[in-house]
Amino acid sequence: MTRISRAAPYLAVGVACGALAVAFVGGGASQATSSADAPASDNLALFARVFETVRDAYVDEPDENKMVVGAVNGMLASLDPHSTYFDAKALGEFQNTMKGEEFGGLGLEVMQEGDVVRVVSPIDDTPAARAGLMSGDIITAIDDTPVKGLSLKEAVDRMRGAAKTSVKLTVQRDGDKAPREFTIVREIIKVLPVRARLEGGGDIGYIRITQFNQETYDGLQKAMARFRGDPGSDKLKGYILDLRNNPGGLLTQSIEVVNAFVDHGEIVSTRGRALDQQQEYYARSGGDLSQRKPMVVLINGGSASASEIVSGALQDLKRATLIGTRSFGKGSVQTVLPLGEDGALKLTTARYYTPSGRSIQAKGIEPDIKVREAIPDDLKGKVDSKGEASLTGHLKNGADEKTGSEAYVPPDPAKDAQLIAAVDLLHGRTTAKAKDAASGDN
Amino acid sequence: MRRKVSYLALGVAIGAMAAGILPHALPQLTQSAFAAATDTYRQLNLFGDVFEKIRNDYVEKPDESKLIEAAINGMLSSLDPHSSYMDAKAYRDMQVQTNGEFGGLGIEVTQEDGLIKVVSPIDDTPASKAGVMSGDIITAIDDDSTQGMTLDQAVDKMRGAINSAVKLKITRGASKEVKEFKIVRDVIKVQSVRAKVDGDDIGYIRITQFTAQTGDGLKSAMDKLHTDLGDKLKGYILDLRNNPGGLLDQSIDVVNAFVDRGEIVSTRGRNADDAQRFNARPGGDLSGGKPMVVLINGGSASASEIVAGALQDHKRATLIGTRSFGKGSVQTIMPLGQDGALRLTTARYYTPSGRSIQAKGIDPDMVILEDVPADLQGKDDTKGEASLKGHLKNGDDEKTGSQAYVPADEKDDKQLVAAIDLLHGVKRADAAPPKPDSGPAAPAVAAPASGGDALPTPAASPAPDAPK
Repeated sequence: MTRISRAAPYLAVGVACGALAVAFVGGGASQATSSADAPASDNLALFARVFETVRDAYVDEPDENKMVVGAVNGMLASLDPHSTYFDAKALGEFQNTMKGEEFGGLGLEVMQEGDVVRVVSPIDDTPAARAGLMSGDIITAIDDTPVKGLSLKEAVDRMRGAAKTSVKLTVQRDGDKAPREFTIVREIIKVLPVRARLEGGGDIGYIRITQFNQETYDGLQKAMARFRGDPGSDKLKGYILDLRNNPGGLLTQSIEVVNAFVDHGEIVSTRGRALDQQQEYYARSGGDLSQRKPMVVLINGGSASASEIVSGALQDLKRATLIGTRSFGKGSVQTVLPLGEDGALKLTTARYYTPSGRSIQAKGIEPDIKVREAIPDDLKGKVDSKGEASLTGHLKNGADEKTGSEAYVPPDPAKDAQLIAAVDLLHGRTTAKAKDAASGDN
Repeated sequence: MRRKVSYLALGVAIGAMAAGILPHALPQLTQSAFAAATDTYRQLNLFGDVFEKIRNDYVEKPDESKLIEAAINGMLSSLDPHSSYMDAKAYRDMQVQTNGEFGGLGIEVTQEDGLIKVVSPIDDTPASKAGVMSGDIITAIDDDSTQGMTLDQAVDKMRGAINSAVKLKITRGASKEVKEFKIVRDVIKVQSVRAKVDGDDIGYIRITQFTAQTGDGLKSAMDKLHTDLGDKLKGYILDLRNNPGGLLDQSIDVVNAFVDRGEIVSTRGRNADDAQRFNARPGGDLSGGKPMVVLINGGSASASEIVAGALQDHKRATLIGTRSFGKGSVQTIMPLGQDGALRLTTARYYTPSGRSIQAKGIDPDMVILEDVPADLQGKDDTKGEASLKGHLKNGDDEKTGSQAYVPADEKDDKQLVAAIDLLHGVKRADAAPPKPDSGPAAPAVAAPASGGDALPTPAASPAPDAPK
């Protein structure tokens, strides 16, 4: 599930489109007087031929909008797992999520994987998290309707609904013999992207970012301001930035988050085919709110996309020590391209590169100190995120691609080995566990 | 569009399918196409807009012909579960399968909730010899996980040169027992008709699918039964259980081998004047009017249902078993030059009495359930056409599938035993009378044996290794 979106300038596609319609309806390449080159018009002629055939020969009169939406979805799904079509309603919902607005739902981040819908992560303190849904779960049916054949949007629509109504999810968990069923009562889901508290006896500022929406940087600023008041700048030993199971979000917000911890240097660059996709982003001087206090970033197999921009930048700039397990590996940028009253296209338009110039696409970010959580027996083998490299049709990145890693965070902070290792490090202690892990297969 | 001529050609085209060449199946585009409604312009504008945006803005230069293929496939899948696009390779594969042979393992597979599932191993193939079983879930092929694979990709990986080996990892049954098989590929011949003598005096004929050879195969089988049994021959059992269908013209030939006159099936497209009737050729009956039983179950679909429905309406046969799948639509294969072919639902078919079995299936005259082994219980049911997303609707009384389990040992095969008893004139206590709502006694749990879009159609032959 990609959350990076930016308004990107349009090129003059409108002109070509008008001409395309003529080509379609005429049904022949000879009619295509558009700017489309020859192969494109051949291809469009083929599509037009099939469209006409269906319109003419199908057993019933077909719904042309459904046909075209089917075609658009098919085309986008063939590109990569992160390019999708939003109709007007889905676009509104996407924009709401990015604004951090409220909706009635379960609190699940999901993504489409082939024919199935997979849980990226349940959002903290939501019905889904309390019901015990887990990262990596495959949702096979919603209210007994099989998910197979539903678009991601259709699946999400079925999960959303008025607060206090209930929905039944049938879930296949990796390694389970039989599917599990969860009946969950919907609530108003308020997307609070930043949560903060003191850790390590009160001298470490712990900040968890659950996603990068338009509220994220504000939330971070407020959290850091609070720490300056309590325990106060003198007492504060350092920060823990927890990006575990954070699926990403807006690129601009990830840049702001990095800037809150560094004062200069490149944060990220993007490269695509279109000229406007070649961008380099630098820290604004004066943006650093951290007083250069030591920091640890926590990542795991559920840290994706904008989370990886943040952890990659802070690692390359040697600003933070990364603790946890390898991140997801989503190194692409999607742009939301409006289609007028027909919704919008979320299209992969660029790859991004960390300040040292590496692409983490299908590789992920390796932590500086690898620390694994103790996984309860009944969850063993079921909490791995398979990562970008395992997604059908993912953008390739050389021969040394790597799949995901564990995405389990113990609900009890006292049992959270990664968090404990972070606190110990900031307190100047190195635990035996962390040492072992660091010298392991990291 | 000029439809009338095209439609006559389409009818011929269905018959010509076996040859795999349909030069004129695509209706010619004419000036009338310009009369498209404003809405059509808007829809096509939307498509053109998206196509242009991808062309200009996608992170990599897209392969435009692949984009269009994916668009066509997406468009067709949005129509119903049986309309799809075949790329050049899939189309070639389909033609090969319709007629002949290929290098493979001999497994019919389907996709269910993203899992690759064995519908059944084909008799006398490397897969059945190795012990692959109906219901097995294939989790890895040559160590590549099947998760995220399409059915086509999985089938492609299983096929290959004769004498080459392939490694399959499967999980079986409720216990999820993991097994590994190393199987050497062989020539898989699509032998669609098998016959033998049952109960000393009954001609048992099993049709596994309707390929181009099925009509001829049936004729040879019946000739042989006549030779072997002569006057002793009491009657026939035609076993269509787990037969997913195939070519329409072959199903008509099969019916004709048992009836000498009358309508066999009719098809109707969007316009009333597209209707076609297929009647028995007098002199086609090879059965000498001897009694017959047809066996059906939840895995009997499409062309099987044409045969079962016609023989039931003609009162020519007694149907024994459980309710059939319920696929009452006809697909036409339309080649797109070197670009593969469309498989498009173009008509519904109707049995001689005028009923459509779409999403309803055929109820047998005698419902007999098989005893399903404990570890397969609840997993042997097909959910039937009515459970497929986007299926063509057929009124309010749609019905889902039923059992699709056939015991490996004939002695345990209650449906077969009932058929033999009936032909021998033995009365039975356990045969339920036909009831409108008879059919699956076992509830349909999450395991359609051969559902999904993997069911072959009257126009497209079923494909061992790929009933698609």
